[in-house]
Amino acid sequence: MRALRTAASGMAAQQLNVEVISNNIANMNTVGFKRQRAEFQDLLYQNVERMGAQSSSQGTVVPTGIQIGAGVKAGSVYRITEQGTPSQTGNRYDMAIDGRGYFQVNLPSGETAFTRAGNFAVNGEGQLVTDDGYAVNPAITIPQDAVDVSISKSGQVQVITQGSTEPSVVGQLELATFFNEAGLEAVGDNLLMETAASGPATVGTPGAAGFGQILQGYTEASNVDAVSEISALIVAQRAYEMNSKVISTADDMLSVAAQVKS
Amino acid sequence: MENAAYIGLSRQMTLRRELDIVANNIANADTTGFKVEQLLLGAEVGERARNDAVRPGVSFVLDRGVGRDYGQGPLNQTGRPLDFGIEGEGVFFEIETDQGPAYTRDGAFTLDPEGRLVTEAGHRVQGQGGEIILDPALGQPAVAADGAISQNGLPVGQLKLVRFDALAALSKGGDGLYRNASNAAAMDATDARVRQGMLEGSNVNPILEITNLIEISRAYERITRMIENTNDLSRRAVERLGRTS
Repeated sequence: MRALRTAASGMAAQQLNVEVISNNIANMNTVGFKRQRAEFQDLLYQNVERMGAQSSSQGTVVPTGIQIGAGVKAGSVYRITEQGTPSQTGNRYDMAIDGRGYFQVNLPSGETAFTRAGNFAVNGEGQLVTDDGYAVNPAITIPQDAVDVSISKSGQVQVITQGSTEPSVVGQLELATFFNEAGLEAVGDNLLMETAASGPATVGTPGAAGFGQILQGYTEASNVDAVSEISALIVAQRAYEMNSKVISTADDMLSVAAQVKS
Repeated sequence: MENAAYIGLSRQMTLRRELDIVANNIANADTTGFKVEQLLLGAEVGERARNDAVRPGVSFVLDRGVGRDYGQGPLNQTGRPLDFGIEGEGVFFEIETDQGPAYTRDGAFTLDPEGRLVTEAGHRVQGQGGEIILDPALGQPAVAADGAISQNGLPVGQLKLVRFDALAALSKGGDGLYRNASNAAAMDATDARVRQGMLEGSNVNPILEITNLIEISRAYERITRMIENTNDLSRRAVERLGRTS
């Protein structure tokens, strides 16, 4: 009985849906998190009677045919890179990107990762690092005697040192953009890696055409909408239940068939 | 003589197939752009026995085909700029696959590393006059209701929307793709509208499908009982007539 397997594929798909939704809800307060969405596609169809097949030697053809689908599968789980709300933190090393682009982070392995989470800090040497201690690329070092740090919208980092009234430039932040942001691979810790699907990174100055601006003292909140996630969860649960109903109906019918006396 | 049992059997066979189709509808209740399907049944009138002029011929149940309801599904907002929903029944996006052109209502598109507009499976979306190439540096693409795509106010292409005279001749290949099985070519659909940032949900009505499910299950039981009764009848007839005293 095909219906059993078809309904099982439906239950598996809804289970994946719930997993994606629960990950979104779990990351509701994760800085720079982008919500994900599972998209489903129908499985292949079996042609019991092909449409357009000849139904007689007189050249008449079957107008509709009989095609029976085999269920559903997950087409893709993609990230929705909608802008999250910038939320004020007051921390002078916190940065939110307003618009397109990612900060570049040097991993201990020597690779470059990309992130929207701009909750940075300085380490013992005064270098700008992520909260895991990975250096931000290009490297920016804040002198020890800096009294105030200001980061412009175009990513220029200026400090006012002790005994000086003139700000001095100590570095310039850069952002990376991609042809296909959805193709970036998430590796955890708010970090994303470049893949063949995303295309190579294009590095540029914040505020330039095609690049977002930097907001100092803000972090980008996740773009998860609690209400829509909860309603998606309800829909997924009901869909799961309905698929289980199909399984029990198919089972009932099989048991009825098995009990026919001869 | 066993006609009643055979008629019951013909109905049971179609009921099983109906269950397969309802199961597929329910499994795809959340599939982007899915169109609900239904088994079309007809009566196949059997030849009546030549030496029995009184009794009429019997009708068997036969599945004639699967009908697909191409009615509009609900448009759900996703907030993703490369999601497109079609407003207009029987209208499709044209995409290019290795096996020739295919048609889909699933407008969850993305860009490949070269900036081409592709489906999630990597098939190229067709525009009026070939593929559509976007330049991410120009910012978010804006799509007008007629499918015209512009970036930064500059036109970069137009989505190709097509419709068919004979929707029944569309064959489904899975992955939300339809293929044209007839000789009639696709026509440009000028009256359809494209909605950006939205995806068309499945047009499966869950309540209707669950009702179908109950109906199929009960009908199956009823027919089974009918076959049992017919068997009982002939068994009893043989027993009675076989009695000698």
